[in-house]
This record gives sequence, C-alpha cells and structure tokens, in this order.
Amino acid sequence: MTSTIKGHHASFMVKATLAVFATVTAVLTAMPVSFAANDVLRVRIGSDVGVLDPARIFGIENQTVAGHIYNGLVKYDQATNKIMPDLAREWTVSPDGTEYTFKLRDGVTWHKGHGELTADDVKFSLERVLDPETKSRYAGQLAGVTAVEAVDKLTVKVKLDKPNAGLLNKLTAFNQGWIVSRKAVTEIGDKNYQMQPIGTGPFMFEKWTPGNQVTVTANPDYFEGAPKIAGVAFKLIKDETAAAIALENGEIDIFFALQQPVIIDRLKNAKGVTVQDRPANHTINLVLNTSKKPLDNVKVRQAIAYGVNREGLIKGYFKGTKAMGHSVLTSSFPEYTEDLPQYPHDPEKAKALLAESGVGAFELELVSVGLSPYDQLIIPVANDLNKIGIDTKITILERGAYLQARTKGDVMTVITGVVGPPDPDSPLVTLYATKSFPPGLNTARYDKADELLARAAGELDPAKRTGIYRQLLKQTMTDVPVLPLYADRLFIAHSDAVSGFVQNSLFTMQSYSVSLNR
Amino acid sequence: MVKYLAQRLLLMGITVTGMVTVVFFLLRLIPGDPAEYMLGDYATEESLAALRAELGLDLPIHEQYVRFMGRAFSGDLGTSVVTGQPALAEVLASLPWSAALALAGIVIAIVIGVPLGVISAVRQGSWTDLGVMLVALAGISFPVFWVGLVAILVFAHELPLFPALGATSSENPLTRLHHLALPALVLGISVAAYIARLTRSAMLEVLGQDYVRVARAMGVRENRVVYRLALRNALIPVLSVIGVTFAWSLGSAILVEAVFSRPGLGSMILKAIFARDYQLVQAGVMVLSLAVVLINTSLDIVYGIVDPRVRTA
Repeated sequence: MTSTIKGHHASFMVKATLAVFATVTAVLTAMPVSFAANDVLRVRIGSDVGVLDPARIFGIENQTVAGHIYNGLVKYDQATNKIMPDLAREWTVSPDGTEYTFKLRDGVTWHKGHGELTADDVKFSLERVLDPETKSRYAGQLAGVTAVEAVDKLTVKVKLDKPNAGLLNKLTAFNQGWIVSRKAVTEIGDKNYQMQPIGTGPFMFEKWTPGNQVTVTANPDYFEGAPKIAGVAFKLIKDETAAAIALENGEIDIFFALQQPVIIDRLKNAKGVTVQDRPANHTINLVLNTSKKPLDNVKVRQAIAYGVNREGLIKGYFKGTKAMGHSVLTSSFPEYTEDLPQYPHDPEKAKALLAESGVGAFELELVSVGLSPYDQLIIPVANDLNKIGIDTKITILERGAYLQARTKGDVMTVITGVVGPPDPDSPLVTLYATKSFPPGLNTARYDKADELLARAAGELDPAKRTGIYRQLLKQTMTDVPVLPLYADRLFIAHSDAVSGFVQNSLFTMQSYSVSLNR
Repeated sequence: MVKYLAQRLLLMGITVTGMVTVVFFLLRLIPGDPAEYMLGDYATEESLAALRAELGLDLPIHEQYVRFMGRAFSGDLGTSVVTGQPALAEVLASLPWSAALALAGIVIAIVIGVPLGVISAVRQGSWTDLGVMLVALAGISFPVFWVGLVAILVFAHELPLFPALGATSSENPLTRLHHLALPALVLGISVAAYIARLTRSAMLEVLGQDYVRVARAMGVRENRVVYRLALRNALIPVLSVIGVTFAWSLGSAILVEAVFSRPGLGSMILKAIFARDYQLVQAGVMVLSLAVVLINTSLDIVYGIVDPRVRTA
C-alpha cells in the first residue's frame, strides 16, 4: 500500500464523517413542522388516519378526527346516547312516517371561508352518499331515501319509500350522517377532499403528517361556542406500553383506545392518571355459518354456546375488563335486555345436545384475524370446544386475507364485531338480514330475521318497536347463528390536566367539552 | 471511469425496475384487494365491482402492469386508494424520518462498534475480548423491539432522561435530537454488534499479515501498528458492510419505528401492505430500492476511486 492511498483513506473518512453529521443536522431541521402550544390537547391514537371524507370514512381513528370537524342533522348525546338536535334545530315526521322535515340552525358557517350552511348542502351530502358514482360504503345505510328536497334556505325534507322508524339513527353525526359543503367538495375535488375536510364543527382540520400526527385547531366561530382548548394533536402511538409511559410522563394528555388488560391495570394504579370505562355498542362474536353442515343443526349451535366458557374468557383472559354478551345488543342500547335464553358454561349439557343432534364427529374451523386480542382469545375457545368433543382447527388470517374470506362468506365460522353507533339496526341488520348475505357480515347466512326487522322499521311507536327488537333478540339467541363471546367495554385514560372529558360508547372520542390546566 | 459509471447506472435502473416488478406481482398474489379494504363491512357485489373498475383492477394483470410501468416511467406513481393523495408525496414525506434514524443509528453503531472490535482483536483471547464478544452476541440476539421497550422503561420512565415518543412536531433541532436519541441508540446498538464482530475478524486478519509483522519487527510503536497500519486496511470490508447496513436500516427500522412511534419508510410500506394500497406499496418500494441502490453504487464508486483494484475486479 502506498502512502497516497492511505491519504485518500484518511480524507475520505474525515469527509464521510463530516457529511454524515451535516446530513443529520440538515434532515433534522428539514423535518415537517407543526405547532406545539401549551393549550393543545395531545391524544394518542393507535392507527394512522387516512380517510376523512364522510362518504368513505371507516376506522375509529378517522371517525374520531372527523367527529371533531363535522356535524350531522342530529347527534347522539355523548353520555346518554339520546338523539339531540345538531345542525337541525327541530324536525317533524309526517303521520305516515315517510317524510322527515328538518329546520336548520341559522348562521352556521363552514370552516375556512366556505360560506354559510344551507339546506342545499344537506341535500348534496345525502345525495352524494346515495350516488353510485361516489362509491360510498354507506349507500346502503340510506336505502329507502327516495328524495332529498331543499324546501327553502333552512328547510330540508327527506322522503322515504316506506316508513322507517330508524331513519334518525342514520342521520346522526356519524359516517354518512356527517354533512359536507357542496362548495368545498366541488372546489377541492373528491380525491383531495379525503384529506382536506371542511366541516361546521368545533375544530378545523389543520395538518396531517403521515405516520406521526394529525392536528385540528379550534373553530372560534363554532355555533355552540368556541372550544376551551386551542386545538388537538392526535399522535400515532401504536404500542400500548409506550403510550402508557407517554401518558405518565406527560407527553400525551389522553390515551384513546386503551385495550390491554395489563396496561389498564397499570394506569389505574398510576399517579395523576384517571381511567374511565363504559360499555361499548358492540359485542365480539363467533359467527356460525348455518349453511355449512353440521352448523345448520340448531342443537349443534346451542351445544357450541354451552360449550364455550365465556365467563372464564372474561374473568381469565380479559381480567374482568369485558362483560357477558347476552345478545348482540350491549347494555348501552335502550333495547337491551337479559330476558333471553342464556348459555352458561355447561360442558355436560353441550355434550348431551351434540348427542341429541345425531351429528357424528366433525371438524370445526375457527377463523380469526391476526390482530390482538382476536388471534389469542380463539385459543381458549378452541380448547373449550375440544373438551366437548368437537375437533377444532384454528385459522388465523392476516387482515386483508381475513376480509376476503369474510366477504366471500364460505368459511364455517368467523370472529367478528360490528363497531358502530347505538342504532339497534347497526348490529342487527348487519349480522342477521339476508341483504347482508355475503358480501356482508351475515356470514351466518341467517335468513329468519327479515320479517321482524321490517316490522321494527315500520313501527313508529318507540315502545312497540323495542318490543319487536326484543322478540328478535329472543329468536336469535334461541337459534344462535351468532354467539356473542363478550360485550366490549371501552377504556380511555387521561391525565389530571384534563377536565370535563365525557366518554362516549361509539369507540370514538370528542374533545369539545375538555379543558386543559397545565 | 465514464464506462464504469454508465455500467453502474444501467445496473441501478435494472435493479429498481426488477424490484418493483416483483413487488407488483407479489402484491396481487396475496389474498384481498383494495376494494374490499375500502368498502369493508358494507360492501355489495355492485360497489365492489364499481370500485375495482375505477382502480383498473378488473383488467388482466399484464395490462395492469404495462399501464403502471408506462405511468411510472413518466413519473406518475399513482394515488393512494385510501387517502387519495399522490403516492410519491406520501412516500417522500416519510423518507426524512427514516434517513435521520438510519444516519444517527449508523453513526452510533460506528462510534461504538469499531473501537470495541479493535480492542477485542488486539486483546484476542483475553477476558476483555470474551466480554465484548458476549455483549455483541447479546446485541445481535436480543430482538430490537424488546431492547426498545426496555430502553423506554429505563431511560424514559425510571430515569426520565429521554421522551418515550421518538418523534416530535417541534421546530427546535435540539428537541428533535432529544426525541431521536433513544431510537437511534437502540438501532445503533443492534448494528454496533455486527460492526464490532466484523471489525474484530478483519483486524485479526490484517494483524497476521507480513507487513504488520515487518513493521513490528522494525520497532514501530504498537499504537501506530494497530491504528495506522492495521485498522485502516481492516476498515475497507467494514465500510462496505456499513453501507449495506445503512441501506438496510432505511427500511428495516420498522420495529424501532413501531416501538418509538416514529414515522418512516418501513412503517409506511407495512401500513400500505395491510391496506392493499397497491400504488403506495409500489411507490414505497421504488423509493426504498432506489435509495439502497444509490447508496451502494456511490460506495462502489468511492471504492473505485480509493482502490483501483476494485475498478478492474
């Protein structure tokens, strides 16, 4: 080796080191920037956002952010789930139940100078969801709407083909019920609108930094008064342990979608942290495909219901953080009842039912998605069923593959839940109606609920309607095409700096009522 | 030299095209598609068919490929089906995060790994050597997400020296460095273990060479022998590994990114795969493979300049 080459080496090393440091500094200073004021609420979300257009929105993180930006004609009260006025001051229903007339608030303005809210915006929003060109995932939710008329600037009429007592639930501030501005959507364009939402809500969309955070700022002109905080930064923190430490360290203020029992325990004992919980609107279910032998036999399905130790799953695996699923309606629904066929863990009865059914030995494939806790809770379920003599096979699918299997609907069983508003039709139609046959979540292929569902929709008397729903619950818990494994509970933790927070049962969160005292 | 450069550039183009082609077809082999993801629970036969047609998924796969490649060569990598944003913009937004982590990680890895490897080689067979190699083995063996969680528990919680979140929206470069420190350290330590082992074996090989023995026989001071004669030559293979590792950690820092809640190219591609967001995955892989190839090519060129033997080999 000659000395010149050594010299090259030396200068190369020095230059390389200098270049590395220069690049690090350059990259650090060039990184995306956003505000970090002291009165900005910092909320942990567990998954990135990406779809903030109400016609296409899905996922609890997107829905949480959208809930800060948009209003609906009506809304669920965060605490009681009662339907309350939102953009509509009041509404009337025609005696035959086919015409809903909404009177809008006067002087509501769209964010970022997009003008005033008018009846035409409501017409535009609902028609946009119904238009096949939009390819909205919620077109089916507004099925039966034949016309939306802007009667005058602040009056809008929704016409139906037949009475639908559940219509208000479809028009609450959630998914297809969120109202968008004709001007904003047209100007921004459908594609860009997904991440440039314009609403009338208490917060205005500010900025999305992919993989990091999404920020909203307070709307000083909000019709119910400006929020008490300057804005909200929704920070993406996937790992729950990291999120718990961030909350304890004061790096975030609210821990949304807290799920792991160990972390719940930890935060309950942490100083300066409050953990809130309430029943969710959804159950997690084992759906049994009634078109597959021997699951077409009701005794086999009942045997499975008796065979699964659901009490053990809730007390053991979930450390008591979930509740018993008596039906697919949880205790957060007004229609909730426990006066239903019950299936306490009873392996002997399960075996007897299997013997009675006359079905010989068979293999039961349990299909679940590869996400915690569904990929884990399937194991004790399989174990319980093995004990009553059913030969189980566990199949865990990656999310995309799982969605495909569920859409096709030819699997024997599937673990699924219907996360959504406190609208009884949300789980009941989705899980039991023939129109939700594959593709759809009625992978049980249950076909005996349509008549009762239609009667409930046509019944305008709330008490009678509840009665019909309860009748349907009794029937479906006798037939058990869907076995609720547990009723979910929602946990959320916040630091002592946060006051006035009200948890809802939708698996979203709203910061409008929050004050910060840091 | 010009011919050499031209060859390298051509090779780069072929490699990136090849990578994107493989990913294009692999993506379409895995079950599930973007239409199912976007329409989810309320999908109907008609809405699925309509969305697939809009995304061009109803075309035969070779036509989809020709279409994609045609657009890609004119610089259009399509839009993300989920966000409706240009795929390339989203990819480029995550690139600085990855670059910062990978660079800082490599710097830490070199600062720790090279001296440890040298010490180990010089004191071959001693307790120090054994200790360093055991620590290095542990560094390679412990999964990086576990090390990350332990680091958060110890250095962000018990001793609150660093934030638990590896990313910040602050404009202050010092705040940014503070957030970057812990993830970079965790990534750096796992890479340092490789570098230490490699430096040790390269050093041992060089220390056994005739010219080192001659230098020692001539009475050259030991420090000079180790640092000026041996280390400099041992660093050539180490440098090439550092290049590869840097490229590797651009995409493979996914676990570090997940534990420390940091955005990055790897996490972005993973998210896009879960959503079957074909355009975004393709754009991500294209940028990632371009980065890997660029780094390796520039290193090759640097070697070509530094060591003429490489150019002809």
